[in-house]
Amino acid sequence: MLKMNNISRIYRSDTIQTHALRDFSLEVKAGEFVAVTGPSGSGKSTFLNVAGLLDGFDQGSYELDGVNIQGLNDDQLSKLRNEKIGFIFQNYNLIPDFNLFDNIDMPLRYRGFDAKERKRRITHALEQVGLASRADYLPSQLSGGQQQRVAIARALAGEPKILLADEPTGNLDSLMARQVMELLHKLNEQGSTIIMVTHDPDQARSISRNVQVIDGQITDHSIYAPTNEAIEVSA
Amino acid sequence: MEMFNYYLKLSLRNLTKHRLFFSLMIASLAVGVGVFVANIAIIKSMANDPLPHKSDKVFNVSLNIWTNDNPNAKLLHIMRYDDAMHLLNNEIATHTMVHYQSQVYTRAVDSKSLSRVQAIVRATTPGFFPLTDAPFAFGGAWQNDRAQQVVISDSLNKQLFNGINSVGKHIDVDGKPLEIVGVLAPWQLKPKFYQAAREPFTPTDDIFAPLETAMDNEWSVRVQNMSTELIKTVSDSRGKNAFFLQAFTQLDTPEQKMEMQNYLDNYSDLRKEAGEYLRANDNRLLDVNQWLEFNKVVDEQMLAFGLASSLFLAVCIFNASSLLLARYHSARFESGLRRAVGARVKDLFYQGLVESTLIGAMCAVLALVFSWVFLQLSISLFPALENTSDIDIGLIVIAISIALISSFLSMVYPLLSSCRQSLSTVLK
Ligand SMILES: Nc1ncnc2c1ncn2[C@@H]1O[C@H](COP(=O)(O)OP(=O)(O)OP(=O)(O)O)[C@@H](O)[C@H]1O
Ligand SMILES: [Mg+2]
Repeated sequence: MLKMNNISRIYRSDTIQTHALRDFSLEVKAGEFVAVTGPSGSGKSTFLNVAGLLDGFDQGSYELDGVNIQGLNDDQLSKLRNEKIGFIFQNYNLIPDFNLFDNIDMPLRYRGFDAKERKRRITHALEQVGLASRADYLPSQLSGGQQQRVAIARALAGEPKILLADEPTGNLDSLMARQVMELLHKLNEQGSTIIMVTHDPDQARSISRNVQVIDGQITDHSIYAPTNEAIEVSA
Repeated sequence: MEMFNYYLKLSLRNLTKHRLFFSLMIASLAVGVGVFVANIAIIKSMANDPLPHKSDKVFNVSLNIWTNDNPNAKLLHIMRYDDAMHLLNNEIATHTMVHYQSQVYTRAVDSKSLSRVQAIVRATTPGFFPLTDAPFAFGGAWQNDRAQQVVISDSLNKQLFNGINSVGKHIDVDGKPLEIVGVLAPWQLKPKFYQAAREPFTPTDDIFAPLETAMDNEWSVRVQNMSTELIKTVSDSRGKNAFFLQAFTQLDTPEQKMEMQNYLDNYSDLRKEAGEYLRANDNRLLDVNQWLEFNKVVDEQMLAFGLASSLFLAVCIFNASSLLLARYHSARFESGLRRAVGARVKDLFYQGLVESTLIGAMCAVLALVFSWVFLQLSISLFPALENTSDIDIGLIVIAISIALISSFLSMVYPLLSSCRQSLSTVLK
């Protein structure tokens, strides 16, 4: 589903170069649920942004659902973002003066669906996240956990191949975080491929596959190392 | 179509949400467009072709008959009474007319009031009417050069007769009654090419009188005139070296024109043989547009002002653009989000296009109001501009296009720069 080989991503400013990712290689198969952990500044978000085509990379190769990303133009990248990827941000990124319906509607507009199909998908996505009755609420009228579920609904509505979530529970208290995690697990059971960055060791433990990023590289492909991460989180 | 509606909805939402900002931006853009359009209006009507369907067939006749070798050898556009009679009597042209301008005080003969109104007189020959395509509301032209008859303008008819059909009534000039045989429909040549040499943007003449009648009545010559001998009165200038008549002729075919040119040159030669004419022949037939250009009817200062106003418009666009840059900058979250979920740069561009069209449309309306105000203002400052310009359909189309283009130009850079920023930074 996702295949990165020796990706490097260097942030250059006038004075410094930051190797946010170096020789980064990872393969994720369809249906997997992957937790990405690692210390702050290690490159987790950078990886997810590259994976979600929100950011480019300097070297290496990246194949998403059989499509080689290298050399694609804006139209092609936009189409991939629109059809194959569902991105879930830590701070939800909902448009505050759109109601839930219009927020979820947005990616579908660019897909060219007719009004009926859009409505069907929006209703279905809202049902999946348990907010079907609130389609005409504004984001500000919801709790943080509900807002994140709206963001997940927006990601789901396009029926993407892969969901990418960058600390989706980072701004939520533990109860709401649990609801969101339950939702993601349920989606995974229904067949969604999910990659999620998290700082929470308990969350990571609940996820079938863990990878750890340190200094822009994958260091551990298999098992989560609780002690390191526990220190990182409490620090 | 569905996308268009979507963009329209988004734009309207954006405009209403940031009302104050956009009204400011639209206003500043509209000032620039307004000034520019007002200028175009003036220049456009100055450069207007007053007889579009036959301006290349109507010619000014400059005979350049001057009786001594005065070193001031500028092309002479006025001729003597005798020259004019020769010109009128040759049968080459389709229509020929000569004229001079005068001014009288007049009143309706059967009016109870004794007060007189000032009236501009065109003392001319019957060819004037078909040559200028002057439209008649009532009656028609006088046919006899000595007839005690006149044609009056629509505005004088309104002033003296409340606009009724006054044909058959009389006006009084210096105690002499003159019969009205024709009343013109509302009519304004822009510019009045037959007096291009002086004040070509004045209103239509009030009275059109037969040349001989005007001269017999000693109606004074109110245009450039010269003489090389003493002239006591207007009627006395017949047969004398008094230059005061301007001549125009309509020559429909190239053959006619050639024939006329030959005629004029022969005429000069004959005069020369008679010992009158000392310079080399320089007889010219300039068509209406050449004649207007020769007289610099499009004011050069106006052109300079036009250039300044286009620079001012550029500054306004630049200003609107920098305002928009700030607007787009603070909206970069939403545009970044749209791209993150699959909008192409193209899509954002179309959305921007719809928005800038909307802005441009509002700007156009405001700009037309502004340009109207500017025109009134310029006219009150420079009365000579009166009658040069008004806001017609063509100008409205120009205003709308310039507003749309300006609005679009001011959007391009902010939009492109907002699309250029990296998504991951915007959505952090
Ligand atoms: N836009 C940027 N410009 C320059 N440097 C950047 C930029 N974004 C990230 N970096 C640098 O790249 C490195 C990796 O950052 P990244 O955000 O991927 O870390 P992270 O693992 O997500 O950290 P955290 O857990 O705190 O979110 C950091 O050293 C960071 O300073
Ligand atoms: Mg991060």
